[in-house]
Amino acid sequence: MRINSNLTKIAALALMTSYSSIANAGLNIFACEPEYAALAKELAPDAKIYSATTAMQDPHQVQARPSLIAKMRQADLAVCAGAELEVGWLPMLQMKSSNSKVRSTDQGLFYAAEQVATLDRLESVDRSMGDVHAQGNPHLHFSPERILQVAQGLTDKLIQLDPDSKAEYQASLADFSKRWSEAIPVWEAKAASLQGKKVIAYHSSFRYLFSWVGIEQVADLEPKPGLPPSSSHLASLLKRTEAGDIMAIIVASYQDERGANWLGERASLPVQVLPMSVGGNEQSTDLFSLYDSVLDLLLGVKSS
Amino acid sequence: MTVFNNRISCVAAACALFSTSALAQDPSLTNPAISAVLDGYYQNTERPMAERVEGFGLGHTELAMSANIDDMFYGKMTAVVEMHEGETELGLEEAFIQTLAMPGGFSVRAGRFLSDVGYLNNQHVHTDAFSDRPAAYRAFLGSHYFDDGVRLNYVAPTDIYWAMGIEAFKGDNMRAVDEHGERDFKDLGIYTAYTKLGGDIGANGSWQAGLSYMRNENGRMTADEHEEHVELGDDDHGHDHSHSANYTGENTYIADFVYKWAPNGNYKYQHLTVSGEYFKVTDFTPLAHEDEHLSEQSVDDQQGWYLSGVYQFSPNWSAGLRYGEVDTQEMHGDHFHGQKLKESEVSLAWHHSHFSTVRLQYTNQKGTNFDGIEDDNVITLQYVMTLGAHGAHQF
Repeated sequence: MRINSNLTKIAALALMTSYSSIANAGLNIFACEPEYAALAKELAPDAKIYSATTAMQDPHQVQARPSLIAKMRQADLAVCAGAELEVGWLPMLQMKSSNSKVRSTDQGLFYAAEQVATLDRLESVDRSMGDVHAQGNPHLHFSPERILQVAQGLTDKLIQLDPDSKAEYQASLADFSKRWSEAIPVWEAKAASLQGKKVIAYHSSFRYLFSWVGIEQVADLEPKPGLPPSSSHLASLLKRTEAGDIMAIIVASYQDERGANWLGERASLPVQVLPMSVGGNEQSTDLFSLYDSVLDLLLGVKSS
Repeated sequence: MTVFNNRISCVAAACALFSTSALAQDPSLTNPAISAVLDGYYQNTERPMAERVEGFGLGHTELAMSANIDDMFYGKMTAVVEMHEGETELGLEEAFIQTLAMPGGFSVRAGRFLSDVGYLNNQHVHTDAFSDRPAAYRAFLGSHYFDDGVRLNYVAPTDIYWAMGIEAFKGDNMRAVDEHGERDFKDLGIYTAYTKLGGDIGANGSWQAGLSYMRNENGRMTADEHEEHVELGDDDHGHDHSHSANYTGENTYIADFVYKWAPNGNYKYQHLTVSGEYFKVTDFTPLAHEDEHLSEQSVDDQQGWYLSGVYQFSPNWSAGLRYGEVDTQEMHGDHFHGQKLKESEVSLAWHHSHFSTVRLQYTNQKGTNFDGIEDDNVITLQYVMTLGAHGAHQF
């Protein structure tokens, strides 16, 4: 019975610490992806923030694992991309964590995709189309304008949940928005030479980035969204590269590089891995440095 | 096969990579999540106590519907169509409601649902990495134990996952054999208590371990002075499709663990799942005052275990190994005969997408006094496909 008494002690300790953390404010935020953990950190610097995934993990395929249930159990707010990106695991976490606070967007659940107009919305979805999202592409954190809209929406949500700290949240938003708005023209000037370049990329992970800087994704390493590159599909891509107009093959930090490397070797094209989110490479420590790093890498591959 | 008699034989097999489907993102009353599972197979012979028969057959053909009923309740219904000796049978495997907004980490589930004892039991069969459940599940839980009842679950607000719960069920499918139909069974047959702990080990690995206890008020056998040969449960040596446990006892103890690993915690390309469970079933012999012949005999407890490992080495391919044993007791008039079944299994599955699987499985069975099994080989070719709403998966 020693285990039982130890468990009781752990539980009592945990209860005590969780109550004391309520006392000194600071929301407990569960972010589905690291980009939203980073955004939450900008907007609620005092909050206790946990990211359920890393930039090395495909957010489509995450296990509803015990540690995530435990984190969600304690959360006041869950911040996720939405548009069905987390459909394979978030509902299970909500069900298993028995935390009514983060169950509905009326309360402590926040979907970034609901704050903006997503790209590539579909009228109807059929499984034969692959793993597509009717509510549009959810990888919207590479759209700087949309990040501003999401920041506004998230601040409103923070104030709703923690009205006492309204002034702090508004100050954080003003500060973030100012720095972000100033950074946008700098990034755009830097990326000007990328406009009109053509790439082959894996999935539609960088849909918003390409749309913003004017890169055209002429082909996808995936034969259908969610399906891994097949040899016949890669062969058809190799044919496509013969036109000689492709700058590079782009892969996200959580995607398998083998198909890209196969194609890159045969077509003599550079393969560039881009950080999918904060933490996707050494340079990307927050949203600003993530954008910097992605543009630097693209410019590097262009000049090579 | 001496290797398999050793502890080394623990190097075995597998479990569900992807589990149970739940709800889509925001199904509502006008838009419930509807999904179906198609499962068909061919096998050269059948495994004892299993649901699949020899030759062509259909496994669990499921139709599930789920949605949030309102802001307080979630509801789910799973109908299962099965073929049994040429007859099409419609069964209800799940029909439950669950609370969504109870305070303090509590939730209540009521209706018909899968018990949360053990690791595999609350997972849907179609998510398994093998075509049949391990022998211990087939012997002691009727492959998967679902029933009409109620559950109270609590999740502690700790950084390490810690959940616990209690359940009460009708327990009709868990009753001991009643040869003469004169036994007075209790209406509330099953009580369970379980606890689960879990967490991460670094960025690559996650684990969960659990302990469960099941009390079966109707699990003890009654003495039979007239029959020379009475078996536990309703095992008729034929195909048993009633989902009833074949071997029961008053007390069942289950210990389970699962460990999952993926490089950087990224499950898209490669991942490994190792799981194992141990069952001990006690207090099944008729009470001494009912039959003095049995009073002095000491009978070993019934037990079973399995260890399974499944590796998905690419998005399209996965392979699994599983080894399991079950030791049961068969009553022969005034004494018991021990029975033993050992299963060594290998499976190879091809996944065209997340939703379609074609599996080839080989099972070697070695039995001692077990339904005449001595050294049998079972080969199963199976497909499992899901359509409809994209379900969420359990760990």
